[in-house]
Amino acid sequence: MPNMRSEVSKIGAPWHTCIPAAALALFLALLAASLPAAAAGSAVDSLPEADQQCLGCHATEGMKKDLQGGEALSLHVPGEAYAKSVHKANGCGSCHSEVDIKSHPPSKRDIKSLRQYSIERAEACRQCHEDAFKQHAGSVHAVRLSEGNPVAPVCTGCHGSHSVTPMTAYQTCVTCHSAALDAHQKWLPNAQLHHEVVSCAACHAPAALRMIDLRLYDTGTRTWVSEREGGARFDKLARSIDADGNGLDAAELRTLLGEFNRDESASRKSLRGRVELRTGVEAHRLAEKTQAVKVCESCHRAGAEPFRNVTVSITGSDGKPVRYRAQETVLSAPLATAALPEFYAIGGTRSRLLDVLFVLGLLGGAAVPIGHMLVRLFTRKLLKKGTGGNRPGNTKDRDK
Amino acid sequence: MKKVYVHPLPVRIWHWINALGFLALILTGVQIRYVDLFDVMSFKAAVQLHNWIGFVLIGNFFVWLLFYLFSDKIKVYHPELSPMKHFQGSLRQLQYYGYGIFKGDPNPHHISAYHKFNPLQSMAYQIIMLLLVPLQFFTGVLLWDLKQYPGAVEFFGGVRVVDTVHVLLFIFFTAFVLVHPYLASLAQPPLAHVKAMITGYEEVEEESAGSPPAG
Repeated sequence: MPNMRSEVSKIGAPWHTCIPAAALALFLALLAASLPAAAAGSAVDSLPEADQQCLGCHATEGMKKDLQGGEALSLHVPGEAYAKSVHKANGCGSCHSEVDIKSHPPSKRDIKSLRQYSIERAEACRQCHEDAFKQHAGSVHAVRLSEGNPVAPVCTGCHGSHSVTPMTAYQTCVTCHSAALDAHQKWLPNAQLHHEVVSCAACHAPAALRMIDLRLYDTGTRTWVSEREGGARFDKLARSIDADGNGLDAAELRTLLGEFNRDESASRKSLRGRVELRTGVEAHRLAEKTQAVKVCESCHRAGAEPFRNVTVSITGSDGKPVRYRAQETVLSAPLATAALPEFYAIGGTRSRLLDVLFVLGLLGGAAVPIGHMLVRLFTRKLLKKGTGGNRPGNTKDRDK
Repeated sequence: MKKVYVHPLPVRIWHWINALGFLALILTGVQIRYVDLFDVMSFKAAVQLHNWIGFVLIGNFFVWLLFYLFSDKIKVYHPELSPMKHFQGSLRQLQYYGYGIFKGDPNPHHISAYHKFNPLQSMAYQIIMLLLVPLQFFTGVLLWDLKQYPGAVEFFGGVRVVDTVHVLLFIFFTAFVLVHPYLASLAQPPLAHVKAMITGYEEVEEESAGSPPAG
């Protein structure tokens, strides 16, 4: 069975045993609020006071609530992870608006099961992510959910709850679909490479539009290059290089890469390409696997849809990609050998220069024999008419 | 006229497998690269066929290599160590192809069992067989499974560089398979060299037959 990733976990200890710990945590939180410098350096300090108060209790490891069916609902919120999550600016109340701080914790709350709770909580996501819900409706996950499949994921199943970060689809999907690589290796050539450079949704959401994202990569540390906190160098730099504002062309892309490689003592930065969806929202349109893209030609042909939209990106300080548009010609320009040596899709990003050379090779290969033969025939006729000298070809030769 | 045994059996087997294989590699290569222009077979089938034929030809290459390494016939590949001699021989051969052949001059090169290549062929085949063909096979193996030898891909400078080298050589070999049969047909009768590559025997003038290899 697949593992469902959710912070709604099963824990054994009863709720009441945590009351002293919770009271202590609340006291410490209030103390911390009055002495803000005391916990300097913690990401939690950057949170609003109200959220810090919530964490005063809910940051306690093992905090949980026993449910009727014997399950235990974890009430623990990893404070540091939450403070670094994409929702840190929203505040606890934005998702937990039903909580009345005056009567919290409620004396009785009817939660039948962890599953029921997860499904109900998904409605909190809808408040902001209605567009994703629209895409999700009719998806394979939504169908499984409506069929009552107990492991069909709701929002938290893929994204987690309090520690939501921008993860690649692959990281998210393989949490449940851990056998995906083995399954693909049975029919997909270079399956591991495809899994690295093609996001799952690029094939499994066949109706979605795709693109190529060229992400800055540190070849020394073998990690994605990240913008320093508070810095927005990438976007400014890309804008200044793309003076005409029509997207980066191959030469401009090379200049941009050069800027990130100015420091010769630092490890080399390169651009690594991935096939991704143009909008992450469309990743919710996952289809039945029988409808997934299986035809190689969908990508491995000139002008294929994914290659018509290209972005260059860097991992932003919040983990989200910061993207800048590039012209689609960057993928097939002769300069791509210098700017994008590590990204190439056979057939799809082929060099136009090599195409021209191939035609010249064909023409030249045909012209040499044809031209030589014509001259031989012509001179043979001339010699026949003339002095009757040596006729071409009347000697044994050995040529290849 | 005298018959001279110039193409031993392993060389003939290698040659014809190589010839058919290279033709198939070129055709499947065109299908792989230009799937938007040609639709003879699916991309996946073309890739799989290309890979299999490639590995067969790599094995076949070793038939050629091992035969020559362990045979005195390797002398046919011995380079002319005097650059001046080699240059003069090449110039003479070029002059023949570009001018003399039209006048009906005799071929300046005379075949013998240990001297079957003219100076141009001798140089060209050493470059082709010891540099270009192995490089094509090597880049082909890297492209077959990029995750298998990531260090080698990195050494080249990335997958696009590996592919560019592979395609440049593909262009060269495409031109080669067009020019090679024509040059082979410059014998008299025109199919004499083709026949020799089947039987192993070339028919040569009495006075030049069996002459010792130069150098």
